[in-house]
Amino acid sequence: MSSILLVARRDYLAYVGAWGFWLSLFTAPLIIAALMFGPLLLARAEPPRVLTIVAERAEDGAAVSEAFAQMALEDARREVAAYVAAAAPSHAETALAAFDGAPNREAAIQAARHIVSMQAPNALAAFPIPSPRYRIIDAPEGDIQALRPYLDGTRTLSDGGALYGALHLRRVENAPTIEYWSVNLSHDEPSNIARRALRLEMQREALAGQGLDPIEADRLQELNPQVSQRDPRPSAGEGQVTLRQRAPFFAALALSFILWSVVFSVANMLLSGVIEEKSNKILDTLLTSVTPLEMLIGKLLGVAAVSATLFLFWGALGGTLLSTAAASMGNSMFGQVAAAFLEPRLLVAFAIGFVAGYLMYGAIFLALGSLCESIQEAQTLLGPVALVLAMPMMLITPALDNPNAPIIEMASWVPIFTPFLLLIRAPSGLAWTEIAGMAGVMLIAVIVILLLAAQIFRAGVVNQLSVSSLFGRKAKG
Amino acid sequence: MRPTGEGGLIWARPPPYIWPRMNAALEAEGLVKRYGARTAVQDLSFSVPQGAIYGVLGPNGAGKSSTLRMLVGVLRPSAGRISLLGGPISRDMLRRVGYLPEERGLYRSMSARGAIAYLARLKGTPSSVAYKRADALLEAHGLGKMRRKKIKTLSKGMAQKVQVLAAIAHEPDFIIFDEPFSGLDPVNQRVLEDTIRAQAAAGRTILFSTHVMEHAERLCDRILLIAHGQKAFEGTVPEALALAPSVAVLETDGDYDLAAALAPRGFNIEFDGEEHGNKRWRARLENGHGSRQLLAACVEAGAPLSLFEPARASLHEAFVALVGDKAMPAAE
Repeated sequence: MSSILLVARRDYLAYVGAWGFWLSLFTAPLIIAALMFGPLLLARAEPPRVLTIVAERAEDGAAVSEAFAQMALEDARREVAAYVAAAAPSHAETALAAFDGAPNREAAIQAARHIVSMQAPNALAAFPIPSPRYRIIDAPEGDIQALRPYLDGTRTLSDGGALYGALHLRRVENAPTIEYWSVNLSHDEPSNIARRALRLEMQREALAGQGLDPIEADRLQELNPQVSQRDPRPSAGEGQVTLRQRAPFFAALALSFILWSVVFSVANMLLSGVIEEKSNKILDTLLTSVTPLEMLIGKLLGVAAVSATLFLFWGALGGTLLSTAAASMGNSMFGQVAAAFLEPRLLVAFAIGFVAGYLMYGAIFLALGSLCESIQEAQTLLGPVALVLAMPMMLITPALDNPNAPIIEMASWVPIFTPFLLLIRAPSGLAWTEIAGMAGVMLIAVIVILLLAAQIFRAGVVNQLSVSSLFGRKAKG
Repeated sequence: MRPTGEGGLIWARPPPYIWPRMNAALEAEGLVKRYGARTAVQDLSFSVPQGAIYGVLGPNGAGKSSTLRMLVGVLRPSAGRISLLGGPISRDMLRRVGYLPEERGLYRSMSARGAIAYLARLKGTPSSVAYKRADALLEAHGLGKMRRKKIKTLSKGMAQKVQVLAAIAHEPDFIIFDEPFSGLDPVNQRVLEDTIRAQAAAGRTILFSTHVMEHAERLCDRILLIAHGQKAFEGTVPEALALAPSVAVLETDGDYDLAAALAPRGFNIEFDGEEHGNKRWRARLENGHGSRQLLAACVEAGAPLSLFEPARASLHEAFVALVGDKAMPAAE
């Protein structure tokens, strides 16, 4: 076995033999799942926020109350629709028709549930029980000043609960005025809902004042233009842009974050590994058997094999889940995003980005590690380096907005950005020739960086050049 | 002639450096190593005969480690030429060299046998052979029960033994040890001396650096003294000892001033302290004065002698004579 492979094999076995590797292997998917679904579950677990309305005019109070009820109904419909589309797609239309035909929110949920229980009983187990975001109660006091102790927590409601907020609706010179009272100062959604409701109420009153029939006034208020987005490229067929066309961008965004975090995690492994070897004083022993370049390549290969093991496991797990989701929930949002992850162009961009990004950043981190005597010393060096490495992330948002903007196109040919911008630009119909061109640029950059890193690595491990020697102390003789 | 650890001499075989038609295992010519503006090694030339135990001596910072690191190809010389085992330094040639660096260490999470076998495999030993040799070496050096223990669980002395074994597990023709005795207790120093002798007996050439003269005196066929990066002496131990004046240790009763009494007779005598009420003196036997003349002078002067002990000069004294006190390593 060649020296490079022996170095790679030893490093690989050292990493996979550590308990931290197995912890990462099994916990990372759980952590990603928790990050994806945790906020959703937390939001669902939160009980409805209790609001009360104190209105000078009963009509204003009723209009605002109705707006909250309508919002709760629409939220419930969205949640039920997403579920039936994923779990019982062939009965989604019937279930939603039943939902729409019911007289109120609770009845609507029950009607959809009944259809699912009859037509697709297997899908009933996880049928959602949507909880409204707000619960409107009668005001415990008729005066807003008297309500303040309830709002600041000094007093509780008769059921022991807390009053989240109060909407005080007044008329000043016949114009509605909304005062929203709550100790949660950063949250103003209830006042916005009330504002929209009363604006419609004002329009309705104005139209009635002009002598318009109230039914006709309602019809006018519901007038709304239909908006659709179109893709002019021939490959887009009729051009209708749906979730199916947008899903690859979400997948690219997710993959670029995964790529960034994996590349820098494994590059950090290399950094701490070489510092450990320097502090263990083992490098001089190894250098009579392997050249610095062989050692550098061996180490990169060893950690690359560690990453490959992680990716094989996660890829097999994720691939199975995504394929299953793409096949069984094809029409749902989740199914379409899942299918987008498996697009060949995206997978190729990810593979190129990972290999080039890992080799490039891994070599840089190895070279930096060879100049440091301790992790503490490395951290002082990594401060400014981390700022440079954060730059690709700063370009991702503008790249998502306009993947073909001149600055993004130019930046995607700069090797430190290429792995990430290639991924983001891939779903926008990037030509295979352009992908190959970027791969070529990265290949050249990787070779140049590897050779430069080998020189620094040699200076660090052979001549014992270090950060401290660069800043004053002499190299050892 | 190779001095033994017990103070006697082994005449069993002639020293390798005087074997007829002996090839040099290593030849260095005009070696220079510069670190920026500082010159660590300056125009150093020496030759290590095949099969010899060769000592490189010098104080800390003299340039020993830089020299050894150039010999094993870790450092590139700024100038000069090295011929190792009959050819220039190459990766293949270095596979026949074992090296124990001054700054040593092993992978802490590796087992003792794994560490030895790994370094042997890097030198080209097949895997199965490497593990067998690792087991045999550990067993032979009393570490058989520790072979599966991780390096981090071993004592410092044991770990150092493992590292020495790792340097010889691939059965090299030439072994280079940089300060191999540092950090070892006296018992393990003696064990390491035996290991070095055993390797030499197996026909291997050994080169080691040390700043402790006693090890060199007991082990080496030839020695090289480096001071300030330059060669101060190269030759055999007896040749080095011959450069130092002989000495004699004397003790006198009471307040008698032996130095003052013998100075007019041309003797250079230094006061060396008091012991049990007696004064101890150290006389340098030079300018044609031997121990016999010194004793006669004492008798003539009526010195109240309680001890008269002629002594052989040490390597330390030989090197003081060569390079002066300031450049010398401390005697141990």
